[in-house]
Amino acid sequence: MLKILIPTLMLLPLPWLTPKKWLWPTSLMHSMIIALISLYWLKNSSEEGWTTLNPMMGTDPLSTPLLILTCWLLPLMILASQNHMAPEPLSRQRTYISLLSSLQVFLILAFSATEILMFYIMFEATLIPTLIIITRWGNQKERLNAGTYFLFYTLAGSLPLLVALLLLQNSTGTLSMLITPYNDLTLTTSWSHKLWWAGCMIAFLVKMPLYGVHLWLPKAHVEAPIAGSMILAAVLLKLGGYGMMRIMVTLDPLSKEMLFPFIILALWGVIMTGSICLRQTDLKSLIAYSSVSHMGLVAGGILIQTPWGFTGALILMIAHGLASSALFCLANTNYERTHSRTMLLARGLQMIMPLMASWWFTASLANLALPPLPNLMGEIMIISSLFNWSWFTIILTGAGTLITAGYSLYLFLMTQRGPLPQHITALSPSHTREHLLMALHLLPLIMIIAKPALVSGWFA
Amino acid sequence: MATWGRLRGWLRSCGVIRQHARLCGHGWRSLSTGRTVLLQDDFFKELESHFKSARQKAADAMPGSDWSPFERNPNLPPELADIVIVGGGVVGWSIAYWLKRKELVRGGVKVVVVEKDPTYSRASTVLSAGGIRQQFSLTENINLSLASADFMRNINEHLGILNEEPVDLQFNHCGYLFMASEKAAHVMEENHNTQRCAGAKVTLLSPTQLKEKFPWIRTDGVALASYGLENEGWFDPWTLLNAFRRKAISMGVIQCFGEVTGFESTVNRIHTVEDDLVEMRRINRVNVQMPNSMEYQPVECALVVNAAGAFSAKVAEMLGIGAGPSDSIAGIPFPVEPRKRYIYVMHCPDGPGLDTPFVIDHSGVYFRREGLAGNYIAGASPDESPLLQDGEPDTADLEVDHQFFEEKVWPQLAYRVPAFESLKVTSAWAGFYDYNTFDQNAVLGVHPLVNNMYFATGFSGHGLQHSPAVGRAIAELILDGNFKTLDLSALGFKRILLQEPMLERNIV
Repeated sequence: MLKILIPTLMLLPLPWLTPKKWLWPTSLMHSMIIALISLYWLKNSSEEGWTTLNPMMGTDPLSTPLLILTCWLLPLMILASQNHMAPEPLSRQRTYISLLSSLQVFLILAFSATEILMFYIMFEATLIPTLIIITRWGNQKERLNAGTYFLFYTLAGSLPLLVALLLLQNSTGTLSMLITPYNDLTLTTSWSHKLWWAGCMIAFLVKMPLYGVHLWLPKAHVEAPIAGSMILAAVLLKLGGYGMMRIMVTLDPLSKEMLFPFIILALWGVIMTGSICLRQTDLKSLIAYSSVSHMGLVAGGILIQTPWGFTGALILMIAHGLASSALFCLANTNYERTHSRTMLLARGLQMIMPLMASWWFTASLANLALPPLPNLMGEIMIISSLFNWSWFTIILTGAGTLITAGYSLYLFLMTQRGPLPQHITALSPSHTREHLLMALHLLPLIMIIAKPALVSGWFA
Repeated sequence: MATWGRLRGWLRSCGVIRQHARLCGHGWRSLSTGRTVLLQDDFFKELESHFKSARQKAADAMPGSDWSPFERNPNLPPELADIVIVGGGVVGWSIAYWLKRKELVRGGVKVVVVEKDPTYSRASTVLSAGGIRQQFSLTENINLSLASADFMRNINEHLGILNEEPVDLQFNHCGYLFMASEKAAHVMEENHNTQRCAGAKVTLLSPTQLKEKFPWIRTDGVALASYGLENEGWFDPWTLLNAFRRKAISMGVIQCFGEVTGFESTVNRIHTVEDDLVEMRRINRVNVQMPNSMEYQPVECALVVNAAGAFSAKVAEMLGIGAGPSDSIAGIPFPVEPRKRYIYVMHCPDGPGLDTPFVIDHSGVYFRREGLAGNYIAGASPDESPLLQDGEPDTADLEVDHQFFEEKVWPQLAYRVPAFESLKVTSAWAGFYDYNTFDQNAVLGVHPLVNNMYFATGFSGHGLQHSPAVGRAIAELILDGNFKTLDLSALGFKRILLQEPMLERNIV
């Protein structure tokens, strides 16, 4: 664990001590090396238990894929930000990279925490660098509103979580994730227990986001710069899912009573946000709403608490992280050239950038859950386990899958096919850096097809 | 608060405060350096105004008020827009309206219209004579006029707003009457054929038919006349501009009053096979300066539409169009310049009747009826060489030259219409034509070197009448990639680059 954590901590002073010429190459190189070393975690010596364990941190098959995703994403974020940060003053560039690295440190500590309270503290800590990135480097004045929504939605959800966790500590004596699955805490349907359950879950449901409390997500994703969008979509949403998975093991059997409204909201959200996607004019907004849609399915899978549900949720989280981040990077390549996020004004791009069109194609197919990509594996597992619980859900999830395919194809056809307007005939050609970025997103996704057990969690 | 005042008054009447004044007033010096309590430093008096301002501040900060901690000029354009239209005349607002009408979903494109002059005092739109005709020599112009006339006849279907008064353009369908001399009669016949083929309802009249139809005309020197039977006449330009503006704003277009002072663009330097340097420019931001202020806002945009009319060349210069070596494309300046034209309002009670068309003599002098009280407006296009002997009028201001009327316009008017021998000029104004010095026709389309600037200017006197159709054409060009209803590709930049003018022979 320290093999990864200490180098990541050292990434914090790195940008401040590097000369200007080597700033971006060195931060990229070092974060890439850390990402490659982190692949070592995939070798779980014990199938269900904890590996690399020490009193504060540890990894287990649930947190390993998310940790690797986090480590993998940092070099990608640095690669994506290079172009739009180039005209900024040097100290601001250094601050930016330090913020990304500090976010990385908090995320690694969050996913590897063995104490739920440490996870909570890191969960809250990630809000600060993200807020700074959104409000300082966003592009329009709406970013202030976006930052406010982002901060206060998450904070309002997570303060009850703090109370609930302290209560849990008081009543069971421990908050260590190694012990909480074996807690003898039988929650009844009394009001206090219901409130306790809600307090534990609301923070993560807001973070996922669940459909009713999802308003912060489109704002934050659209107004954030590319690195902010990438980390938000790929990892920060998964913090909510991961937290839910960890805490739900202690909340039996009340979950069986309490989950009804949340599953319904999640599944209804899949359809609703999918339909909203079909009407979007802003490219980033469409991808943001599709994130809500996919995470609604993940929330359904976690709440259902079956092995297939959990497995499907984890696979979908990893696959969605890579695919969504890839789509945001593609949208950013558009934005950097045309300076507008409107889809109507950047059409027919296949004519002028055919290789980028192939990346658009793959990312859109990943988004619509094409077999054999892991997106489909995750979705099928979740849909099957939901169907097993209640046949009625197949109507909602089936319609949701259909709409997902609809808007993913809409996204692809709108940007790539169609008449090429005259004002984008002379766009600057694709940079090699952009192709590298897309390859680093989509090749791991394609490689997971070969061994999905890597990302399947406890029940591989 | 009033109780304090009463308390003070009571204290003063009790002699407590007076005591203080006595202490300071009668030679008693306080230990500080002679500063006494002046009435205007009175804390209690100001307390009330402090409370009032605090209450006002609290009321402002309540939800429902638009107070924000950051001082923002409400007129500033947004930091990010999709399309910035430079120029808020009728062409600019028409383009904005059609863009909003053609977007597929609500809020599809964010359009900002930037207009320099909130009073529209120098804008060509409102200073125009307001005529619409199909009698052009170029098929594209005829089609544009036909489409615009159709739009304006059904204007409430297009620009009507629920719960507001219907738009009344005061469209007088009186037709245009062109008169040709002997040497130009064959041109008029050719034009007539073109117009009929395009679908315009025009008819040719011989001098006798002319005299029969309009007895007040003296037909000496007229060989042939062309009279428009339908879709020709005049209307109120200000009403059309405001109808477009109101409807576009109701559909979500953002209006900004400011002047475009520069662009931030990315330049790609490319070397051709012959080792010539070509600079392809892409506009990233438009700098809009606020009126009467040094404050400016860079608006990040995807594309810019130049609908600045007579001042389009200034906008084009900011992008370096015309600044390159003279034998390259970059060295061709944008060929639109302002030309001043005068319009004189005359009162002639014995003049031609209510069915007077828009009469244009072969010498270039024109007049039309204005209103119902025997007023007429007249002017002259100095395109014909006899009128242009003194050169073009100075375009530094909009001062009217009354000598021009006395010397050039009135004699010809009086010759053509004997009733005009006695008239009185009641008023006059001047306006700019956005005159295309190359071939007096519009320039519509993208510039080859500035990849995301669309031009919709250079109409040389017939911009107002083409504005609805031009708006639709540019919106199709932007959103559909190509012209759909009317093919106006002949009016693009290609003819300027290849130096092949497409002259419009019927310029008024």
